[in-house]
Amino acid sequence: MKTLLKTMVSISALMVAMPAAAQEPLKIGAAVYGLNAEFMQIWAEALENHPAVRDGIVTVTIFDGKYDALVQQEQFETMITQGYDGIIFVPIDIEAGAAAVQAASEAGIPVFGSNTRVNSDLLTAYVGSDDVQSGYMEAKYVLDKIGCTGNVVIIEGPIGQSAQIQRLEGNLKALAECPDVKVIEQRTANWSRAEAQTLMENWLTAHPGEIAGVIGQNDEMALGAIEAIKGAKFEVTDFAIAGIDGITDALLAVKAGDMASILQDGAAQAQGALDLAIAAKMPDYKPMSEIWTHYTDMPWNDGKDKAYNVPWTPVTAENVDALLALRN
Amino acid sequence: MLASHAQKYGILIALIVACIFLTFANEYFLTGRNILNVLRQTSINGILAIGMTFVILTRGIDLSVGSIVALAGVVSASLATTSSAAMVAGGPYPVAIAFGAGLAVGMACGAVSGFVVARFNVPAFVATLGMLSAARGLTLIYAGGKPVPNLTDAYRWIGTADLAGIPMPVVAFAVIFLAATWVLTSTRFGRHVYAAGGNPHAAKVSGINVPRIRLLVYVISGGMAGFAGMMLAARTGSALTQAGIAYELDAIAAVVIGGTSLAGGIGRVTGTVIGALLIGVMNNGLDLMGVESYYQQVIKGGLIVAAVMLDQARHKQA
Repeated sequence: MKTLLKTMVSISALMVAMPAAAQEPLKIGAAVYGLNAEFMQIWAEALENHPAVRDGIVTVTIFDGKYDALVQQEQFETMITQGYDGIIFVPIDIEAGAAAVQAASEAGIPVFGSNTRVNSDLLTAYVGSDDVQSGYMEAKYVLDKIGCTGNVVIIEGPIGQSAQIQRLEGNLKALAECPDVKVIEQRTANWSRAEAQTLMENWLTAHPGEIAGVIGQNDEMALGAIEAIKGAKFEVTDFAIAGIDGITDALLAVKAGDMASILQDGAAQAQGALDLAIAAKMPDYKPMSEIWTHYTDMPWNDGKDKAYNVPWTPVTAENVDALLALRN
Repeated sequence: MLASHAQKYGILIALIVACIFLTFANEYFLTGRNILNVLRQTSINGILAIGMTFVILTRGIDLSVGSIVALAGVVSASLATTSSAAMVAGGPYPVAIAFGAGLAVGMACGAVSGFVVARFNVPAFVATLGMLSAARGLTLIYAGGKPVPNLTDAYRWIGTADLAGIPMPVVAFAVIFLAATWVLTSTRFGRHVYAAGGNPHAAKVSGINVPRIRLLVYVISGGMAGFAGMMLAARTGSALTQAGIAYELDAIAAVVIGGTSLAGGIGRVTGTVIGALLIGVMNNGLDLMGVESYYQQVIKGGLIVAAVMLDQARHKQA
């Protein structure tokens, strides 16, 4: 027993003493809030298909947070114990993740935010898209289409989530430019298509012929509204409908002329964060993801910026086929 | 006696009172279109609750129906999608095959739970809790976490079509309601369900194969959940892996509000349907009036507890 212990101690001492071999890949962990929905699937696939992963410069492990802040906290503890070289963090909640970031920071592990913000100044950098902007863009589309007059409804995300708060801020900013437009209903459908469908069915009954525009804070809910309109035998084209995220079903609906969507590039958010995580450990590293050449509005700046803003892409009849082709 | 009357008619009276109140509170409540809306919005929970009634009558519980909704949805949809990324090779298949597969998946899940309950005497709560987790996991594995979009028109028919102005989900709900009522009141199997739940020992002594009954009620519940899952996918146009989360709670609520005793042996499908309608009317009415959905949850919670209190009062008298 004693010998075994001794051997183990000396092996660990050796490992500490040896400089990390050059070919040893970096170990990066990604803690994401949950993998049940399409958006995070796209994010995760992009991370695993990053050129640096394929070239063996880095290995990534994705931890499914199961929509629970405590689970994410525990996953951070696991990564700290195992000595990861960096952590990419997509928190479930803007506030609840701060303690996890602090723990990693105290252990000397840099944390990179992606997609969802966390209220912590200890993040090394953040790669995401500005939800206020997308909220403004989608509401602007709806208001332009109805000619800045008439009634609209807003279907919101879960009240209090950062995306709901910021997208609403953007919605209201656009609405302020159209003082004649009245918001006759504003309720949450918790990002859910089925819930939004029920809500819209009931609104169509309560406000017959009065709803001109539907601002869905995500695509799922906009799609639910479309199904409700179809179910009630109205013409979808008589409504201006918009959503956010660019999920596959929404791209198909844009193609059919039923709605507008604003694509959130989850793949770029994932790959950008990974490039930053690698650069933090390898000073000579040049970013390998093609997103840096694709988005000229988002310069790499030697990986030294605190925040990288991935631009939104409005999905149009012109680019929808190209975007759909990327999904298969 | 009073409690018994309140139990038998109380829920119906509550439904009528709610409808009268909403008729005065909102001009659109009592319109043909809104009534169809309520029925359509109730149909999925109603069908789940009818299956749940069979299970609860045998002193069981089925917590897995929400996960089965999602699993049956993605499996059947993958056979009926025109999206090449999500389809099963060779698809889209005829809608009968897709529906058959969804129904089979639901019944198979139910059979597994039922077998574990009947053969190994595992408490139903535990067996179906396991299935809740396993079926959700299988859904995510099968669909790779992604929705199955682009369902064929034939598939969407069950969720979106009308039959003489009545939406298909409502027609299906009505047919299932009548069939379940007939099975429970007029067949030997139905009488055995009541007997196996009311007094399993006496049922066994009188020659009823109690484990078989207990197995079959979970198959029925799973089949209903599978059917509901396909109807949900057909209605929303896409089978989602997150579909049906927490649906078991509304289904159990409808059964309990409808007066079926958790102690088994007592209850009627009619009560369950009225319970489901009460939940549906309440959700719809509060939507029409613009009341925040958070209140709906509080009211539903009160109703569930009140219904069980009535049930307990009756047990004391019996």
